[in-house]
Amino acid sequence: MSGPQSKPQPANPSSLVERGLIPCLAIGCVIALFLSCLLGSTPLPPDRVLAAFFGGADVGDRLVVWSIRLPRALTAFLVGSALGLSGAALQGLLRNPLAEPGVLGVSASASLAATVSIYYGLVGLSPWALPLAAIIGALGATALLALAAIRTQSVITLILIGVGLSSFAGALMSLMMNLAPNPFSLADMINWMLGSVANRSFNDIGFAAPFLIAGTAILFVSRRGLSALTLGEEAASGVGLNLRNQRILTVLGAGLATGASVALAGAIGFVGIVAPHVIRPFTRHDPARSLTPSALFAGLLLMLADILVRILPSQSELKLGVVAALLGAPAFVWIAMQRRAGHD
Amino acid sequence: MTSLKISDLTLRAKQTLLVDRASTHLNAGELVVLLGPNGAGKTSLIRGALGLIKTEAGTSELDGHAVSSMSPTERAQKVSYLPQIRPLAWPNRVRDVVALGRYSHGATVGRLSDEDQTAVDSAISACDLTQLQDRSADTLSGGELARMHCARAFAANAPLLIADEPIAALDPRHQFRILDLIKSYVDQGGGALLVLHDIELAARFASRLIWMKDGRIIADGPVHETLTAERLAEVYGVSATISDTRIIMEGAL
Repeated sequence: MSGPQSKPQPANPSSLVERGLIPCLAIGCVIALFLSCLLGSTPLPPDRVLAAFFGGADVGDRLVVWSIRLPRALTAFLVGSALGLSGAALQGLLRNPLAEPGVLGVSASASLAATVSIYYGLVGLSPWALPLAAIIGALGATALLALAAIRTQSVITLILIGVGLSSFAGALMSLMMNLAPNPFSLADMINWMLGSVANRSFNDIGFAAPFLIAGTAILFVSRRGLSALTLGEEAASGVGLNLRNQRILTVLGAGLATGASVALAGAIGFVGIVAPHVIRPFTRHDPARSLTPSALFAGLLLMLADILVRILPSQSELKLGVVAALLGAPAFVWIAMQRRAGHD
Repeated sequence: MTSLKISDLTLRAKQTLLVDRASTHLNAGELVVLLGPNGAGKTSLIRGALGLIKTEAGTSELDGHAVSSMSPTERAQKVSYLPQIRPLAWPNRVRDVVALGRYSHGATVGRLSDEDQTAVDSAISACDLTQLQDRSADTLSGGELARMHCARAFAANAPLLIADEPIAALDPRHQFRILDLIKSYVDQGGGALLVLHDIELAARFASRLIWMKDGRIIADGPVHETLTAERLAEVYGVSATISDTRIIMEGAL
């Protein structure tokens, strides 16, 4: 990056923060992952967790670490980072800090499809039915949005379509709960809608991984266009952005990543808004540069929230989605109230 | 020498004819001003010429290549475009906004190549933004913002520049500063097409005037040939007397 003849950069504090941001977040994520393995119904001391990691320790410890705690913590991280990444990308695309998978109706559609699979008892046929349904739901919403993105020039229209999708999916979910055949499937549906990463296995992660990887790759490949969109759509086209392709790629990438996250953990809201909002000032408000740190920070937030869920003394374990919403929704309102007019 | 050639360009939105068989051209070394009342089709003509909206008929060519067949990147390397509405989504640093002008050259903001750095630096100093380059764009005044957008357009180092009302809502001094910047860009071999509403400034700076009314180009030529009291009456519906380059507007007709 810097040759010997390039001008020495003034070592101002802001550029230090920018350069240190990603390493710091990555270290934080590793620490949180390790902490997640220590904590649980029976706390394990660090030396036993470390031993279990490297194949030492006794069978019980290895089982707890490798089959329960590590997959759970990893799921929390992956779900969080998928949502944070999707949120950051969609905010860049729509030039609106309140955009996230939820706003575009992708999360709701994925949850709806998952609920359908529970309602019709498809879940009993195969353990893959529910995750598959979630991904189909997300891709369905994504395809609709991609079609709309080809036809319309307007961001507002896309957001409105998303609001419509969300409301419709919500109404259908309420209808199914209303008509639930028995209390067991009602409880299943509620569990799904609340969102949780408890009892996830590496198998679950493996199933979501291809979609997660594809979505992440698409978002990263197309991230430079998000910077250009800072200028507004017309000027962005003016500087050489292919607006239509950018819309399709971002919506598709965010749809795949969000579908995978809903498949893993159900509906978890607001992480996709809060993480990019906190990160943005540290990346000088450049949407492209905010992707990686937003993903890491959102993953970190969700791992910490999951640790909180596990150590809070409560009769039945709190659902991660509930805690995320309790913390995230007020933040959403606060961010909305900070918005000045004239940015739309 | 890059040139833009527009032939019989026709644009329609639903039933409304926006631009009707417009033909004109823009060559390096000329400063052309597009004049006409609101709704005459000036912005539509520009958008159609750049391939940003669908054309119904006619062609727009850059150096003999149809704009519609060029990639947005190829086109942006030949023509810088400064649209009328210039919203900034985020409070970016001035230097980063100017660097976005390098998008068509593959620049990534925050990791600019030496060539990109040089282009950004010279655009920033040409537009007198050196003191402001680390400021957040949302702290700039209207005149400073206009200079930032100009610098963004210049940073592309494109041979042609199309600017839609680059001096709207600026005070007289800033109007002159922006037009002086564009003039010096043209003196260095660039070609500029500007939409202006100030006819007197247009007459002073332009080497050619294009007059539009109701979607049609009704006159296209040097200032002294096309700027007449009759034309002002026909295009703008105002009565005016013209002496040399002084225009005195007397009222609506």
